[in-house]
Amino acid sequence: MQDIRKALFVGSRSDGKLIQRPMSPHLQVYRFRLSMFLSILNRITGVIATGGATLGVLWLSAAAKGPKSFDTARKVTGNPLGKLVLAGWLTSVVYHTVGGIRHLMWDSGYRFEKEQINKDGPVAVGVSAGVSVLLVAALLITCGRSGGRSKVGKAS
Amino acid sequence: MVEFSLPRNSVVGKGKTYPAPAGAKNVKTFRVYRWSPDDDNNPVVDSYEIDLDHIGPMVLDAIIHIKNDVDPTLTFRRSCREGICGSCAMNIDGENTLACLKPIKDVKGDVRINPLPHMPIVKDLVSNLDAAYAQLRSIEPWMKSDSAPPPDSERRQSIEERAKLDGMWECILCFCCTTSCPSYWWNGDRYLGPSVLLAAYRWIIDSRDEHTGDRLDELEDTFKLYACRTIMNCTQACPKGLNPAKAIGQIKELQLERKG
Amino acid sequence: MDSSVSHIKVMRSQLGRARGLGAGGSGTEHWWAERVSAATLLPLSAWFVIQIFRLKGASHDTVVKWGGKPVNATMLTALIITTFHHAGVGLQVIVDDYVHGKLHKPTRILVKAATALIGLLGVFSVIKLVISGVSRKS
Repeated sequence: MQDIRKALFVGSRSDGKLIQRPMSPHLQVYRFRLSMFLSILNRITGVIATGGATLGVLWLSAAAKGPKSFDTARKVTGNPLGKLVLAGWLTSVVYHTVGGIRHLMWDSGYRFEKEQINKDGPVAVGVSAGVSVLLVAALLITCGRSGGRSKVGKAS
Repeated sequence: MVEFSLPRNSVVGKGKTYPAPAGAKNVKTFRVYRWSPDDDNNPVVDSYEIDLDHIGPMVLDAIIHIKNDVDPTLTFRRSCREGICGSCAMNIDGENTLACLKPIKDVKGDVRINPLPHMPIVKDLVSNLDAAYAQLRSIEPWMKSDSAPPPDSERRQSIEERAKLDGMWECILCFCCTTSCPSYWWNGDRYLGPSVLLAAYRWIIDSRDEHTGDRLDELEDTFKLYACRTIMNCTQACPKGLNPAKAIGQIKELQLERKG
Repeated sequence: MDSSVSHIKVMRSQLGRARGLGAGGSGTEHWWAERVSAATLLPLSAWFVIQIFRLKGASHDTVVKWGGKPVNATMLTALIITTFHHAGVGLQVIVDDYVHGKLHKPTRILVKAATALIGLLGVFSVIKLVISGVSRKS
């Protein structure tokens, strides 16, 4: 079915010979607009969120499997790289949620005017950044605090 | 797989430079996309250095000047020069707009002029719009009513009913919006695009039209309507200030409403 | 540079091509499913973020006890099912946009299968946690 548009790319020279027409540049020339960038960012963060959710399920299945698998899972989440991945995932989920709320507002019929769209974009970025920083900071702090304690306390 | 990069025969190279005439003081460079079927080459960008003191304020004035006095082979569509015919739609400084309504002053630095994005190029800035016109025709943009009109007057419509058409009847079919939509770039053979969907909605909410259900049936398709990802490039691009994204949102709401 | 074309392959009229195979008759359900799952995920994710803070660095016993509680198990299961349903629809939209031709159907099936399986894994893990919780109490 893609051939449908390909057919329009056939043109002819002045002497009648059939030739292939070029395609005009698109991504290569289109101006960067925050709204366009935020839209594709919503998609990218959605994919990252799915990846993280998969890892989350693996963590849960490790917990369900038994203490030994859970320990391995704990080593992964406790490790600095693991914490970085968790922070990145959390930031993606926060942005995707904020962007998602924006989409839900549009789907309900609100904030469609050009001025509103251009105002809401920076607000979405600000809110996402703010909430992400708060959450990641809180996570790192509480993780630091309870990380030492848990090995001793609630075993029996 | 969809191609994010241009096909090999479409990659744009560097073209000629046409320097400003001697003694020109207010010079601005126009970098214009050029390609001719007789070229046997890839498209190029030619640079024209123009003295702004001797031409009108709009980008269209500049390219008409180029065609008249500098390079007669430059090819583009134009007609009314006042933003109502839609002929001179092109990508200026990265955004789709009408050349006759784009002040040269608004562009900082060189003025980059390209044809409407992701379209087959006939020559220079002229793109082939057959697909878009056919898509418009496919949504049957005319009144469809089964009841007979009143014998002595027009089909009546209240002020409120007529107000619903505002923001849609003004569309000049320039296709700035449609060719600014990334979803149309990747799926334009099946996705109708913002301009056509705006036209479809204009007829869907016209109180005098009696085939609303059929019109909505025709749009109930994963691609024709639902390839819209609310990216919002269309509303940003419209040179007449219309809001295709909002109209598309309202079509989706109607589809949902009738599904109960 | 050879840009010559041997002959014209497609002569169908523009209108015929634009109409294509006609409207498929579906689309609203998927669109609605994406929105409903998104809206449902708002409270569920908020609950989950709170739980992450409660469980950060917790021992295995704590996690099992937490997962065994009926309220937590229910919320977790709801979260997992809604998340992977939403993810499935979202990924399908991505496949529709970017993958065309022969690869399209296999990729769609792969995406649906992957999200369904991972979701199932999550749900069964929760069930196992509930059972472990029960067996521990007795």
